[in-house]
Amino acid sequence: MSDFALELHGLTKRYGEFTAVQDFSLAVPKGSIYGFLGPNGAGKTTTLRMVLDIVEPSSGSMTILGAPSALDVREKIGYLPEEKGLYKKMKAWGTIAYFASLKGMNRKAAKARAYELLERYGLADFADSRIEALSKGMSQKVQVLASIAHSPEFVILDEPFSGLDPVNQQVMEEVIRDMASEGATILFSTHVMAHAERICDRIVLLAQGKKIFDGTIAEAKETMPTRVVLDADVDASALQKLPGVIAVEPHVVDGLERGWEILLSEDAEPERLLQECFSSGIALRAYDHRPPTLHDVFVHLVGDDAREAKKR
Amino acid sequence: MRNALLVASREYVDNARTKGFWIGILVLPIILVISVQVPRFLEKNATPTRNYILVDHSKNLESVVQKTMDDAYQLQVIEELATYASEHMMLPQGTNMPDLESVPAGGIAGMLQEFMNSNPEVVEQFIAAGGLSTALNMMEGLLKEDAPEFEAPRRKFQQVSLPSGVASTLQGRELADALTPWLKGDQTLDGERAGEDLFALIEIPADVLGEGKVQYWAVNLADSDLRKKVERSLNQEVRRLEYEKRGMDSGAVREVERASIGLTSLDPRKEAGEEEVSLADEIRQYAPIGFVYFLWIAIMQVASMLLNNTIEEKSNRIIEVLLSSVTAWELMAGKLLGIAGIGLTLVTAWILSMLGILWYFGGQGTEITTQLLDVVLGHGLLPAFAVYFVLGYFLYASIFLAIGSICNTLKESQNFMGPMMMIMMVPLLTMMFIPKDPNGTLATFLSWVPIYTPFVMMNRAAADPPLRDLIGTTVLLIVTNIGMLWLCGRIFRTGILRTGQPPKFRELFRWLRSSS
Repeated sequence: MSDFALELHGLTKRYGEFTAVQDFSLAVPKGSIYGFLGPNGAGKTTTLRMVLDIVEPSSGSMTILGAPSALDVREKIGYLPEEKGLYKKMKAWGTIAYFASLKGMNRKAAKARAYELLERYGLADFADSRIEALSKGMSQKVQVLASIAHSPEFVILDEPFSGLDPVNQQVMEEVIRDMASEGATILFSTHVMAHAERICDRIVLLAQGKKIFDGTIAEAKETMPTRVVLDADVDASALQKLPGVIAVEPHVVDGLERGWEILLSEDAEPERLLQECFSSGIALRAYDHRPPTLHDVFVHLVGDDAREAKKR
Repeated sequence: MRNALLVASREYVDNARTKGFWIGILVLPIILVISVQVPRFLEKNATPTRNYILVDHSKNLESVVQKTMDDAYQLQVIEELATYASEHMMLPQGTNMPDLESVPAGGIAGMLQEFMNSNPEVVEQFIAAGGLSTALNMMEGLLKEDAPEFEAPRRKFQQVSLPSGVASTLQGRELADALTPWLKGDQTLDGERAGEDLFALIEIPADVLGEGKVQYWAVNLADSDLRKKVERSLNQEVRRLEYEKRGMDSGAVREVERASIGLTSLDPRKEAGEEEVSLADEIRQYAPIGFVYFLWIAIMQVASMLLNNTIEEKSNRIIEVLLSSVTAWELMAGKLLGIAGIGLTLVTAWILSMLGILWYFGGQGTEITTQLLDVVLGHGLLPAFAVYFVLGYFLYASIFLAIGSICNTLKESQNFMGPMMMIMMVPLLTMMFIPKDPNGTLATFLSWVPIYTPFVMMNRAAADPPLRDLIGTTVLLIVTNIGMLWLCGRIFRTGILRTGQPPKFRELFRWLRSSS
């Protein structure tokens, strides 16, 4: 048995002239929480659909839990699609039990499991309500629970946080962590970097159908040049002369310029810069060296791509 | 297969819970009851007694019209009495209800009508024997215990006298003008018909036998019963006078006029001695129309359910979760089977309620119902119905499913449903004609068009269509079904995940060809 829950080899999907996903390879280790990041229209959903064998790839191959197609092992996979929707007339428990039974659970066990999950995640009072009577956040929770009710080994979540309030986003994180602690592998896509940063072991970044980064969060941050923010009565040219400085830009906070943002070369150390400032007689009002957030990394890596209007 | 059945059972349960399903089940029997009861009710109650004024300047004809009206009323009483007797009188031991197989085509009402036409003296005899009261006296003791009191029918036409203040010497327009407030309903009658409206004014001129014309004044031009009745009675009298003038015996003339030849419809396919075309034969001939109508409504109704919930799944994006659990084929098969179950439930409920209604309104005991059932249920109509329902359902359901899969909203689906409905109207438009020439060119041609086969062959079912048509069209229908399932399956598989505009036909064609 392989150590990977999912291996993709050169997955490509074309729609006529348009290439949605190009030559995408990925290996998701068992038991990991993998974040799947990328701007809108990057091809995340298409990739996930190929992984689930809902759409067939134009070329490439994959192994999922040891099988060539997700349909062969579908009872071990849980899936939450990007756009959420349920049968309006069904009851909350019935919805969860139905999807669990489609995944191979017997009906009695599925019903018991539905009640158990609803209780655990605070929806016990709504178990017998119809979906149409639930709030959007609640029905989304039901859908999440429906996708994991059969205790899958591998969970694929497409934008699980979208449309949830902060409290429920926490609950969602909790669900993901619970699943991981029970040994499941989790692959989820998101726009919200904070979630990815908090819960992912590894991330893969997709832009315009191509993979542009794959690794741990620490590795992702290393791709960013070191940044220092300082405030002093000097102009940019004086700072530009200091050793190790690549670029100097005005640091803007709330629309006002508050000092300078300095990008340092990879081998330069921020502490050196501080010393240089003192020795050059620059009077500092503020000095801030903070590690980049995943948000910064995301904007840095895909910023230009994401802004460009894309035609599908 | 397990998954398809799971999908099917969810579809079944979910749809069986909808209001639409229950309305569907109830609507048909309700319509049936209404269509039986309302005309009966209307006939009894809706048309008020028509009051008319007859001004006879010729002085000779008023009594003639009066007698015609009285006779007509007595006939009404006799008919009502006959119905009352058949419903509430105990049948002597050993008497059987008339056997439908031996009642000639046209029915019991037709028989009675014919009898009255050739025996007008029945009314006279009835009156001479003492009329209604004598008849009721005779029936006493023979009635069932729970029989209600006999209610004499209302008169259809009632002559009233001129309102006070209107002179009977007025003529033509002047007379009409004087009575206009009553004719228009601005004023109501007084006297014994107080509060009622005047329906018509009939004025017979003095020289009616010469140049003069009878004038019929009325605001309501649609109801011409009174007019016709008066016209016929006056004509009869005028002819009688004419016979007398020429020295002919009017009694003899009347007898001559009553002479008629008998005409029997015979069917060469029937056994010797039983060739006469009976009422049962007629019912049998036309019963398939009812079944075609059932078939059409049932198929339309459940196929539309399929369309709706496919669009629901698509627009709610439930489809993606489903497809990560089941294959598109399993989903499609499940939906088709689940809704087929709904359809069969619907049809079974209809048939059972039909039988219930027949039994309830059969009234005269179970025998006539059993006979009707024999006619309707015999001769393979029901098995044919079942077979054509299933085959027709799968054909249309797969088309509707494919349409549902490529549309995101019900509105979008209307574009496809419009032409579809036009195509589907054909069997409804032809169903009344096909029994008249069940093995003719039109019927045969339409039978071989697979989308019409279920309806048209059902239409022809009672007319023993040639074996070649029977087997050939069914085989063609089955083949078409398989082809259509395959075709629609491909459209479904690709369409169901698509968002945005529905595809163009060219694109659809590409989906069919592509292997993915």
